[in-house]
Amino acid sequence: MSQWGESVTVEFGDLQATCMGLDCLGKWAVLPGRRVLALVDLDNPVEKVHRLTRQSKYDISCVQWNPHASHAHWFSSASMHKLELYSWDNASSKQVCTMKAHTRNISDIDWSPFDVNVIASCSVDAYTLLWDVREPKRPCASFQSVCGASQVKWNKVTNNMFATSHEGDVRIWDPRKGNTPVLYHTAHLAKIHGLDWSPFKENCFTTASQDGSAKFWDHTNFRQYKGMLKSGLPVWRAKYTPFGDGLISVVMSTLSRGDNSLFMWNNLSLNEPVHQFVGHMGTVVEYMWRKKKEDEKDYQLVSWSRDQNLKIWKVDSQLQRLCGHEVLDCVDETLLESTDSTREVLQSMSAPEVTMGTSQSERQTMTLMQEFSLVNKFIPNVTINVLDSANRYCSMSINSGKHAICVTVTFPEEYPNNAPPNFDLTSSTGLPPALIKKLLRVMNETIQKSVKKNLNCLEPCIRQVASAFDSMNLEERKTPDTDPFPVTGGFHAPFIHPLPFSGYQDNSIPFPRTCGAQFNSVGLLICFRRSKEAIIGEEKTPKALSELAVISSTNRVRSATSSASYALYSRSPPTPKSEIGSVGQWYIQNKRQRTKSRTFKDIPEGKRSIGDKDRVVKDKKRKGMRLEPVLIYDTHYLLNIHRELGEKYSLNLNNLTAMCEHNKIEAASVGRRDLVRLWSLIPVIHNPSLHPDLNPDAGTPWAQRPLGRGMVESLMNHYKSIGDIQTLAMLCCVFWDRNYFQSLSSLNSNAIKKSASKVSLEFEPVNFNSDTMFGSSTDSGWNFLPMSDNALSPSSQLTTISSPMATIAMAPNSSTPSRAMVKLKRSNSYNDLSFEDYKFADESQPKETIEEQERKQHESNCRMLDPSKYVQFDHMLKVYADILARWGLRNQAAHIKKHVTVRPQSHSGIAEDIIEFGVRCFKCETEVRGVKCTNCGHPAFHCAICHTGVKGSSNFCLNCGHGGHSSHMQEWFKHETQCPSGCGCLCLKWNPF
Amino acid sequence: MVSVLNSIDTAHEDMIHDAQLDYYGTKLATCSSDRSIKVFDVKGGQQRLITDLRGHDGPVWQLAWGHPMFGNLIASCGYDRKVIIWKETNGTWGKLYEYSNHDSSVNSVCFAPHELGLVLACGSSDGSISILTSTGDGSWDAKKIKNAHTIGCNAVSWAPALAPNALFDQTGRPTLVKKLVSGGCDNLVKIWREEDGEWIEDQKLEGHSDWVRDVAWAPSIGLPRSIIASCSQDCRVIIWSNDGTSNTWNSAILNKFKDVVWHLSWSITGNILAVSGGDNK
Repeated sequence: MSQWGESVTVEFGDLQATCMGLDCLGKWAVLPGRRVLALVDLDNPVEKVHRLTRQSKYDISCVQWNPHASHAHWFSSASMHKLELYSWDNASSKQVCTMKAHTRNISDIDWSPFDVNVIASCSVDAYTLLWDVREPKRPCASFQSVCGASQVKWNKVTNNMFATSHEGDVRIWDPRKGNTPVLYHTAHLAKIHGLDWSPFKENCFTTASQDGSAKFWDHTNFRQYKGMLKSGLPVWRAKYTPFGDGLISVVMSTLSRGDNSLFMWNNLSLNEPVHQFVGHMGTVVEYMWRKKKEDEKDYQLVSWSRDQNLKIWKVDSQLQRLCGHEVLDCVDETLLESTDSTREVLQSMSAPEVTMGTSQSERQTMTLMQEFSLVNKFIPNVTINVLDSANRYCSMSINSGKHAICVTVTFPEEYPNNAPPNFDLTSSTGLPPALIKKLLRVMNETIQKSVKKNLNCLEPCIRQVASAFDSMNLEERKTPDTDPFPVTGGFHAPFIHPLPFSGYQDNSIPFPRTCGAQFNSVGLLICFRRSKEAIIGEEKTPKALSELAVISSTNRVRSATSSASYALYSRSPPTPKSEIGSVGQWYIQNKRQRTKSRTFKDIPEGKRSIGDKDRVVKDKKRKGMRLEPVLIYDTHYLLNIHRELGEKYSLNLNNLTAMCEHNKIEAASVGRRDLVRLWSLIPVIHNPSLHPDLNPDAGTPWAQRPLGRGMVESLMNHYKSIGDIQTLAMLCCVFWDRNYFQSLSSLNSNAIKKSASKVSLEFEPVNFNSDTMFGSSTDSGWNFLPMSDNALSPSSQLTTISSPMATIAMAPNSSTPSRAMVKLKRSNSYNDLSFEDYKFADESQPKETIEEQERKQHESNCRMLDPSKYVQFDHMLKVYADILARWGLRNQAAHIKKHVTVRPQSHSGIAEDIIEFGVRCFKCETEVRGVKCTNCGHPAFHCAICHTGVKGSSNFCLNCGHGGHSSHMQEWFKHETQCPSGCGCLCLKWNPF
Repeated sequence: MVSVLNSIDTAHEDMIHDAQLDYYGTKLATCSSDRSIKVFDVKGGQQRLITDLRGHDGPVWQLAWGHPMFGNLIASCGYDRKVIIWKETNGTWGKLYEYSNHDSSVNSVCFAPHELGLVLACGSSDGSISILTSTGDGSWDAKKIKNAHTIGCNAVSWAPALAPNALFDQTGRPTLVKKLVSGGCDNLVKIWREEDGEWIEDQKLEGHSDWVRDVAWAPSIGLPRSIIASCSQDCRVIIWSNDGTSNTWNSAILNKFKDVVWHLSWSITGNILAVSGGDNK
């Protein structure tokens, strides 16, 4: 392996820069320090350095120059969650714009290599945003994932493709495809630090990971990596060389052992690096290729390290050749030989390279001391007593409820490399040993998980135990005698569960609605909104709830626990008033910040927000949240339906003219002129002279003429379009009578009814009064409402039958004339009544069919509304009835519902369906469901009196199951109360009928 | 001629997230970040606090009233991952049922049309939709559509129980359909249909370029078409319509607003849509 020193080294000890950017012309490097922004002229890095002071206490996390020569003077930098764009003009820089939308620190930015104005930024807030710098107010696209991204990189060869890394996963996105990644793949098991696309191959990229490897991928075939480069230490970056097929990688060195060189690899032989750039004293944080001048053969690599040195390395054609790059104008035999010889040398030298990561103790991700210093001392319920890194020992106590446990931890020398620390639990308050065991198990699981990956595990472990302990105590508290929280009653402080992932998913919970308008009930509109002081103006409303957490955490008074910021609601203090980071506060804070920022623009941001927070907290204490009242609006006028009309409309089809006259006046009183005209039109349509003739040969019925059905339908279409369900329903009532359906259904159900007659005495009472039009209308026995639907005969004064009793009494008397009418008019509605003799029905039906069809066709032609749409009309009636019910007008609703053709199912359940009783055949003892036994052919049911099988109607006791012919039973129970079978059952008492 | 009928000072201690009137328009329920639900009697212009329901451990996002044929019922959902159904019995309100089988905030609840029985749909940020069906004996049967929307489901809304194509059906009793529409963080609007007790995806409507915040299926007044409105973080409101015979949905952008649109509500006749969003209007 060849090793060369750097060609140029410049130290900037004061800068403290954490990243570096090179412009695309190869002229400038920018090094953003905390206080100053240094712009280094790479041609003369020692002397030509411009320092620009900046006023922010936050580090710039990443910086990048625009890669397009036309806008080479632009560079953008990210600090905290802000993205800033600067324009650099030789000696001065100017801020072009600021882009704010991320809610947490930006981890990486990348300019699109194809669009000069587009920059991508990714952040730990789980969003990757694309910005168009001409429109800096909001991102032009956003891509969300479950966990935050560490890198974002555009494909260098093809447009519309970029990759992001999330922990160990890589997602590849196409901005045109929206929020769903094109590909999603787990590349490493540990965090990916670096991602780089191949400059030549469209589908290839590399990933560098914490797990000590860098992998090569082809995203068209993601199942298997194309190659892997192993190193004992976490790989920080692995970037392609702009020539040949090479790679340069950097590992993350630890305090104890530093290997701060840059390694160059030939991608075809990944066993050992081909070159090592030695010289940096600290970890290299960034390295980039400088644009080479056209006449130059050598590439220059610029690197920036934690030791605050900028180094420029020359990569000559010989090195390029090592990476498989053919330098055309320089085919030099000797050089080739020399590379061979270096390679030989290299093999012998590569030994330390291999051992680099083998020594276990050196591989520590963090020393114990470091870990201790980083442990969050403010975990809820946990008090840390001792942290002694010298003796590798710590102890803490965890409290929850009335119990407390003491935890002591000792760390073996090798920790955390496959050597779990020892935990010891003692309880001072007599915690049952079973629970202690449980806690130990929880702890061991956590430890194993971390130690397997050689990760430090103290803090996650403490957290797990604390929450497990807490939930155990919770269970205990839930026992009835100790339950301090009654379920109902006045206000009490609710106990908050420590939700296991609280806050973790907040970024996918949408930002809550704080205002809204809601149509409810009928014509009422409710509005609720924020108070005036919480109106946010031009600023865009945030998207996800997680933004609340960010705001509350950045604004929190410093002494507060930082862990609570994630647990937005779940761990905040129980009383709502002191709740930190509620939605309401978000608005108020936001408002205040804005008003302040207008007046005091020069105050650094950090100070401002802290001051603000204090102020808000004080304000909060003084007065509670002011809320706007909820308003209820009456929007009936927008809806074309009127409560007054619903209440006052009359629906008396027996006297249509009077009804229309009445409704006309009502419509006029609410100012609906169109309805006035409609109601005056209806009697005209219903003029008796237009009534259809029963005889199909008498000419086209009125309904089929242009002003008949067509007009009614166009009227209905008009009211449909304006959403006037009220008028629609009234029209349905007027022009539609449900007899049509009943006659239809009675035909269909004839067969069923015949078989049904064995159980029940079924009367089909007949209404004889309206014999003018269709013969009579049938009223089925279960309808207990008086019929008022003889719509087409308004002139005849009806004597409607008002009770079922009356109908039943009447029906037998008038059975003779009714049958005569059947013969005369062939109205099928008589079928049920007259076909007592089945044979008669069977014989007559074939003869009837043709005429029947013709007659039915005629009948449907006579109607003013298309009979085929009855379901639709029914639905309109139901909707209107529902509206009336909402108004509390139940009588009116019931009137409307009477016009519905199809009865609701619940009604028909008992009345129409046949109730069948299983019978045990008295001869052969088999279970029979019908009249006759399927086994022996005898009538199955046995009469208790005459001891023969029952063929016709039967009655039996629901209690003892005995019974027999209806006539026998009736006679028996005229005098007796006990069962005729002699079983002793008091049948009359048990059967209320 | 829209007039203010009533103005209710709710005395909530934090932001109100939803307000709903019951079937008759006489009771108002509000929910808030202060974890409480308040029910007011607003009959005839009065405003009397009936009850203050506490039971959620986090902000309460949305409410839904049940149909009065099942009694006075309110369903509520919140950040604490719980769905609670509250019931009034003899003038006092109490918890009827608590469902806590979601892994993240529950953002939306909606009762099904009463024809389908007492059924409640809940959409959660864990991406799933739960359908809770009352079995009638006090217990509830829960079905879950897992991973209905990746990242999260933000809104659910039921279709009218009578399908528009059933309006042409002449064979007898119209069949009822169990359908619902949902919107989520995958920028999609999805229509779900129950078939043989299983919920399957019926349609996937693509049109929004950011999270869908609310969906609302328009009530039917007997027209042979279905209409769905959806609104999104991308500030657009889209009206989806279906002619009832085919299975295609046509989209039309109603409007693009200046800020996030997060709530939609149809009037009962299905011809007026109320839209509200982040601009407090």
